[in-house]
Amino acid sequence: MFYWIYDIPNWQLAAMISGGFVLVYWLGAIFISPILRRLVRSTSGSNDVVGYILSSFGVFYGLLLGLIAIAAHQNYTDVEEIVAKEAIALSALNQDSKAYPEPLGQNLRWALRDYCRYVIKYAWPLQQKGIVPEGGRVRVTAFHEKLLSFEPQTSREEIIHAETLRQFNHFFECRRMRLQSVTTGIPPVMWYVVIVGAVINLVLVWMFDMRLMTQFTLGGLLSLFLGTMMFLIAAMDNPLRGEVSVSPAAFELVYKVMLDDAY
Amino acid sequence: MPTRNKTLKKIQSGRQTRRDWLKQGAKAVALASLPGCNRLVPVGQNAVKVGLLHSQTGTMAISETSLRDAGLLAIEEINAAGGVLGYPIEPIVEDGRSRFLDEFPRKARKLLSEDKVVAVFGCWTSSSRKAVLPLFEKLNGLLFYPVQYEGNESSKNIIYTGATPNQQILPALDWFTNKAGGSLKRFYLVGVDYVYPRTANFIARKYLESLGASVVGEQYASIGQQDFKEIVNSIKQSEADIILSTINGDSNVGFYSELAAQGITADKIPVVATSVGEDELRSLLPSQVQGHFSAWTYFQSLDNPQNKRFVELWQREFGRDRVTDDPIEAAYTQVYLWKLAAEKAGSFDVDKVRKALGGIPDFEAPSGKVKMDPKTQHMFKRFRLGRIRDDRQFEIVHESADWIAPDPYPQMSFPGWKCDWTRDGITQGEPVEI
Repeated sequence: MFYWIYDIPNWQLAAMISGGFVLVYWLGAIFISPILRRLVRSTSGSNDVVGYILSSFGVFYGLLLGLIAIAAHQNYTDVEEIVAKEAIALSALNQDSKAYPEPLGQNLRWALRDYCRYVIKYAWPLQQKGIVPEGGRVRVTAFHEKLLSFEPQTSREEIIHAETLRQFNHFFECRRMRLQSVTTGIPPVMWYVVIVGAVINLVLVWMFDMRLMTQFTLGGLLSLFLGTMMFLIAAMDNPLRGEVSVSPAAFELVYKVMLDDAY
Repeated sequence: MPTRNKTLKKIQSGRQTRRDWLKQGAKAVALASLPGCNRLVPVGQNAVKVGLLHSQTGTMAISETSLRDAGLLAIEEINAAGGVLGYPIEPIVEDGRSRFLDEFPRKARKLLSEDKVVAVFGCWTSSSRKAVLPLFEKLNGLLFYPVQYEGNESSKNIIYTGATPNQQILPALDWFTNKAGGSLKRFYLVGVDYVYPRTANFIARKYLESLGASVVGEQYASIGQQDFKEIVNSIKQSEADIILSTINGDSNVGFYSELAAQGITADKIPVVATSVGEDELRSLLPSQVQGHFSAWTYFQSLDNPQNKRFVELWQREFGRDRVTDDPIEAAYTQVYLWKLAAEKAGSFDVDKVRKALGGIPDFEAPSGKVKMDPKTQHMFKRFRLGRIRDDRQFEIVHESADWIAPDPYPQMSFPGWKCDWTRDGITQGEPVEI
């Protein structure tokens, strides 16, 4: 929905969201707060009532925000793990391919290198734009074709081949999971609840009967914190997008090893 | 002068009047509607799309994947240097799946009609090239074809960056029939049964006859054949001085193994191959192929700064065990040729780029200086003959003194046939049956 936020640098995004919250709060303190205070002024001790409501609401909202932040972080670490597993499986396949006769073994390693390079150079930038990369499929098919062309002649070769095929299936599973993760994120309905909750928070603070400067200071601080939390969740949501995203470092490491092995 | 000063002030201050805006708007509309300008970059795109059409799976994947890599490497380099006409190149890579007659045309149509690419770099086999040719002509696309081929073809929409027989096969025959090559007279022609070997051998036979040499045998194996016992027996019985081999792909493994098994070594009956490059040598045992020859226009062992840089770049990107060869070099070079032509034309329009290709200055490719012949849309190339070393590389034993003009229709084989795309296109000669 708001995917454009991943195209801007983090510091700008943080400044935009947090600053936006503070600005909205300050404007509301000037223009909306007097109207809202009129609604609750007739009640004696209105600040106490608003305070009680804000406290109880704050507990629920705080819990919600905390849980969502944890969920976003969990998503992030899950994807990081998937990426690491795929890279490890790729590395294991590269190792297994050394047991095959030449030139098949070399052709298998070239195909794996080709895949790894593609993931780093072409797939990752696409993922960061939220596009599921397509080019890896043909490279995986090319590797699989070559692997299946091998007919084991000895029991040793049979064992190695069976193990390589098993490793390939594991690799394939990790790859599918990574591709699935490109569109992983907090569901829009949750974002809706978070934003509505934030607005209610601001409205409740606007209802306090305080001097304008006190409103600006205390409310501004609360808004700044709310904005920062929003930024944190937004930045960690969609683990393969934006600056705070899972990097291809695991693949880069494997590719380096593959290139070093090529001598 | 007052008017000029006013304009200068306006430019310096950056202020624009409503009249300026209207003028600029009208200019933009007029430019966009001019023929050719619509091929600059389609509206809404911020990159120029080119197609790479090679088999990434199937039997030809082992050879064609390297050509895709060479194309991508050139594109990555160009993009890193700022792109073409200020636009980055976006490669659209399609897999022909080694299905020359159905998948190649399907993917070519997709690239031209749906992706709206401004050029396609692709194909290896003549079958795939011939299958996509009508589409490129119908949809006015531009195909850059990087592999040496049999000639007997020319299309306005294809730029042939590989060698023609008169740049590869005929100079090799010249050398072997001369004193330097041993003044050999009895040639045995062997190939795989499809269009390239049949046509190449047809041309070779006619040429050898004109040189006073003789063809003592001609045999064809089926595609992928490994058993060459009968063919090698026949070669032995023919008492040939030399074998001209147009065998390609995996069949070379069976062919060279059988030669070695029957005691035919390079010092007894040398083989000069037209489809065995550094990439193919990986599959062949050095002990079986050492001393035999290959005819190309490029070898990895070429000693010039451009080639050293190219090989270094290639191996740094893809691994030290990756080798370069003639088609790989052409696949890399042709992307640069297209870039230079687009820059000269100031447009990505197919007709403008095609015309500009004939006028671009000599380009220093890894194989040396190259340029396109606007008449045939083939490249001027230098012939080279390599002897296989025990490290699966070639020792260059001969190279032509200068580059050789391309001739897709050698007159002794295709009398009356010629092509000139700066004038009337193809002039048909006598009907030729191959």
